[in-house]
Amino acid sequence: MRFLQRFNDNQQPQGNGDGDPGSDGLLLQLRSEGDSLLAAGDEAIRRALAGSNSEAFLRTSRQQGGE
Amino acid sequence: MSTHPTTNAAFELLPRLCGADIELGNFIVGDERAGGTGYEASRALLAEIDGLPLRHAGYVNNWWTAPNPAPRAAYSLPSSSGAAASAYAYNPQDVSRRFLLSNGGCAYIDLDHVELCLPEVIDAFDHVATWHGMLRMMKAALDSANQKRPPKRKIQVLVNNSDGQGNSYGSHLNFMISRRAFDNIFWRKAHYLQFLASFQISSILLTGQGKVGAENGRPATPYQISQRADFFETLQGPQTTFNRPIVNARDETLCGRSIMNDPSAPARLHVIFFDSALAHGSALFRIGPMQLILTLLELGLVNSRLILDDPLAALYSYSRDPGLQASAELINGEQLTLVELQSAYLEEAKRYAAQGVFTGIVPHYEQILALWEDAVNSFAKQDFMAAARRGIDWVLKLMAIERSMDQQSSLDWNSPEIKVIDHLYSSLDNDGLYWAYESGGFTEPLVTPERIAHFTANPPQDTRAWTRAMLLRRAAPDSVFSVDWDTITFKLRGKHNWPAYRVFDMTSPLGYTQAEVQHIFESTDDFALLLDALESDSTERTLSTDALAAV
Repeated sequence: MRFLQRFNDNQQPQGNGDGDPGSDGLLLQLRSEGDSLLAAGDEAIRRALAGSNSEAFLRTSRQQGGE
Repeated sequence: MSTHPTTNAAFELLPRLCGADIELGNFIVGDERAGGTGYEASRALLAEIDGLPLRHAGYVNNWWTAPNPAPRAAYSLPSSSGAAASAYAYNPQDVSRRFLLSNGGCAYIDLDHVELCLPEVIDAFDHVATWHGMLRMMKAALDSANQKRPPKRKIQVLVNNSDGQGNSYGSHLNFMISRRAFDNIFWRKAHYLQFLASFQISSILLTGQGKVGAENGRPATPYQISQRADFFETLQGPQTTFNRPIVNARDETLCGRSIMNDPSAPARLHVIFFDSALAHGSALFRIGPMQLILTLLELGLVNSRLILDDPLAALYSYSRDPGLQASAELINGEQLTLVELQSAYLEEAKRYAAQGVFTGIVPHYEQILALWEDAVNSFAKQDFMAAARRGIDWVLKLMAIERSMDQQSSLDWNSPEIKVIDHLYSSLDNDGLYWAYESGGFTEPLVTPERIAHFTANPPQDTRAWTRAMLLRRAAPDSVFSVDWDTITFKLRGKHNWPAYRVFDMTSPLGYTQAEVQHIFESTDDFALLLDALESDSTERTLSTDALAAV
């Protein structure tokens, strides 16, 4: 299941009916820019997953409940 | 003075001052010892944070609302602990508390978590800056602690609220409200409580940090908006560590005067509901909209349409639906989605903003409202990219997780790697995903790096935090006997070297600002004379909420 993929599929540019890309164009630009900026996290994700024992990491992350 | 929009009565409200006490996850990577490593990690971290007092005689003031505050429960210091804790008493929920000379906040250990307490601020944007300033200070402490440790025993700090194994820790906010409002919420007007609870629940849309999975015996789910939702089990109550309430009724003023001693003193609303925030947007939306909604509660502007029929059921349902399609029933039978409910509260705030009710009470309320509206609209349009870029943590974390699944097809919601990413989103260290997105320019900053840096070295100028920090800087370190939010006790040298104790009282959180007392600090180099001058200063600092009686 991909939550965000589903949202994007549901969110097709509607257009304003007069052939002017207008805000749809801006939206697409924002998304495109966002996609490239999201890539900034890819290296961090790769580092997080590379060579680590995830199950061991999770076991050691156990905390006391607090407040 | 303002005019009440429905009664036309003149009123004057106190600014919505706020503070925060926020626990961090801390452990030693790779050490799987029974009982966990929080004890060792938290103490190694706190040792890197300077503050006063140097010695700890126990933290005994303002414990609940006893008219003559009783000491917190004292325990024998375990002989094997080696802790630099109290010389006289050991309280596992308040170990080695030290107030910071830099910004007037404090840090201590609560049940093996480092807890950061932000200095009092009035402006929601200052809250965001002080919070990130405290995180910078904590990062420096983490680096310093790890430099002293073997490579395979590094400490990890997570700015989150649950370990994924059924243990939650808090990210509490504190708002100054009138005693009248406090009584209305908890003792007189049930719909005020329900209005506040329903608002808080709807706020997860903007304040949730996001979490993979379920805890606390709740049914399994892939991803939740709120880290804390699973842990709330009742509508209201004074407790915080079990049977957690959506609205916390702890009555602890931190204003020097309990209700029994002064019924007109303001109260503190202790808000335990929200997740910790990293992105500026979520950090701001924990504070700004609360300031606005609490102002409506102060003025009795409570729209009883906006009350969930079953707040806990709504919270569980909303949190487990990052698709934002779930609806919950209001007491009038309406069904509203999370976006619709949060939008309705926004509209209430906008309506009264237009009538001027927030002027002079909530700084930058127009800007808060504009950002709030922009964020809610991004969800209404299902524009999640916009929501993430505006700094909504749960959306950004979800994007990171789904992106990792796209890149590694073997991963799914049950993969331990996905839970690791969940945790590392909030890592304070260089492996923290949030910091990668922030430094890469993905999220929009709401405060400047300069403002954040300012609060790593300076207290807020417009609250008593300024005088607290300045007194701690001026005092001889070993003369600071104890520090609390509203008092500092100094142990000075008296005649024939007898100790002379002086308790300096800062009852009003809005008093002793830089503007009020800086000239006094500049008037003398003698510390005892400085205290004399501050105590004899004639500035009126009595906080009374009697003006509300006219509303």
